[in-house]
Amino acid sequence: MTLDQLYQQRILEHNKDPQHFGPLPEATHRGRGLDALCGDDIEVALIVQGERVVDAQFSGEACAVTKASASMLMSWLIGRSITDIPEAYEAFRALLANPEARANELLGELNDLQPVGAFPARRGNACLPWQATLEALAPALGKSV
Amino acid sequence: MASRAATTAAPIDLGAIRAQFPILTREVHGQPLIYLDNAATTQRPIRVIEAIDDFYRHTNANVHRGVHQLSVEASEQFEAAREALARFIHARQQREIVFTRGTTEAINLVANSFVRPKVKPGDEILITHMEHHANIVPWQMLAKATGAVLKVAPMDSKGVLDIDALVELMNERTQLLGVVHVSNALGTINPVTEICELSQQRGIPVLVDGSQATPHLNVDVQALGCDFYCLSGHKMYGPTGIGALWAKAEHLEAMPPWQGGGEMIRYVSFEETTYNDIPHKFEAGTPNIAGVIGLAAAIEFLEDTGIEAIAAHEMALLDYATDALSQFEGLRIIGQAAQKGPVLSFVLDGAHANDIGTIVDHFGVAIRTGHHCAMPAMQFFGVAATARASFAVYNERHEVDAFVDALGRAQDMLKP
Ligand SMILES: Cc1ncc(COP(=O)(O)O)c(C=O)c1O
Repeated sequence: MTLDQLYQQRILEHNKDPQHFGPLPEATHRGRGLDALCGDDIEVALIVQGERVVDAQFSGEACAVTKASASMLMSWLIGRSITDIPEAYEAFRALLANPEARANELLGELNDLQPVGAFPARRGNACLPWQATLEALAPALGKSV
Repeated sequence: MASRAATTAAPIDLGAIRAQFPILTREVHGQPLIYLDNAATTQRPIRVIEAIDDFYRHTNANVHRGVHQLSVEASEQFEAAREALARFIHARQQREIVFTRGTTEAINLVANSFVRPKVKPGDEILITHMEHHANIVPWQMLAKATGAVLKVAPMDSKGVLDIDALVELMNERTQLLGVVHVSNALGTINPVTEICELSQQRGIPVLVDGSQATPHLNVDVQALGCDFYCLSGHKMYGPTGIGALWAKAEHLEAMPPWQGGGEMIRYVSFEETTYNDIPHKFEAGTPNIAGVIGLAAAIEFLEDTGIEAIAAHEMALLDYATDALSQFEGLRIIGQAAQKGPVLSFVLDGAHANDIGTIVDHFGVAIRTGHHCAMPAMQFFGVAATARASFAVYNERHEVDAFVDALGRAQDMLKP
């Protein structure tokens, strides 16, 4: 795995120009993703209606991998049922853990993050936005299961 | 800018130095290793590796416990190492050296055995804004348990301690001043002699975190005038898991033991236990014998090479690297004290430290990224993380060049 695959165009573009980046004052759910050791500190803010995510934004400061992952994840989240998210996170982690794994349809554009798996020190960065999302949804998911 | 070391030391023979470090011949991602994470831990010269190997092959036995030959030899080597360390930091007596796992354990020992028995609610522990978590958290824990208050002396935007403000924070409630000799996050060398004098005038004992000082500075605990000095073997070319607390004998005599067990006792019955003499009173259980012996070999390496020569070499590298980094647009050096250890912490616009670290690693260059276990210092500079290159005696100019090239690549890749 080469450096260029990690810092591929897509990841760099999301880093420079992240989507769904900024405040979401009407958020119904918020979660923090903090990796003090790396210096990543983001917030994921969601608007959930019924069981559906209708809007998602992230904010804060983070490295390119975390930012790109968050940027892609926010787009992915919008329109999803919150009950599908924990399973999708497992699928995402499985994707990073196995460089041979085939793209997982469920994950869409998030498949582009697979090369991060080859950089064990950076896997946590790709997962941080998911963890913040699940933290945000913990009360809602607790109720719905 | 870093200070230019005024020294008369003969230059080191870099080839001969590098030949002593087997790890320097390995490759990382197909590139020669360029190890610039020395403030986290240094590499070990062959004599340290061999001393440990030799101990386990030929001498291994428990210390201070047997009449048989191996035990006698192991005990002799163990105590010879204590003597070497005492000489190295100019301790008055070797019984003032307590072996610990490292600086962290040494500070915790002082917190629990020296400060805790005398501290009352409302008493104060004074530290500085540039301390490593090892010299913050034990005091916070102590404060929480006893009702004492942690006070923090400020620094300026260059990372220089504000001595006037420090003195203003000293008062009759201050039970201890804890100060880092050389900051791992900023490089700042604190004027410890002056600080100790000001503190002693007010009757306040001083603990110095010397973990980043012993590999670069001539440390004379008596001349510094401190009460406690803490160090880690792995920062000074020795093994991990071994370090020491130096303390004035009168303090150690008066302090109760911290941990209980074997080695630290003279006599035990269920009714009563009498403790061993110092320093053994503070060395409960079987110690890291091989680590101590490896540490002695590291001290021998430092003495043979010469601290002044090491410092002169490292300062030249620091100056060279500082000049090179100053050419980068959008680069800010965090920690610009006039007196610095060989530490270069920085942030680069548009490039997160983590990404810089990953990219330069792919060119074989190992640097540290993150908060460097000094989160309050990072907060002071308004950054979550920095990238840090730190130098040791075996680093070369061309390695700085390679690092600077790799950093340029990182900047290009991540450029907004
Ligand atoms: C300034 C400083 N203090 C304390 C420590 C802690 O040392 P150790 O982990 O060896 O106990 C370190 C090591 O990172 C340090 O750099």
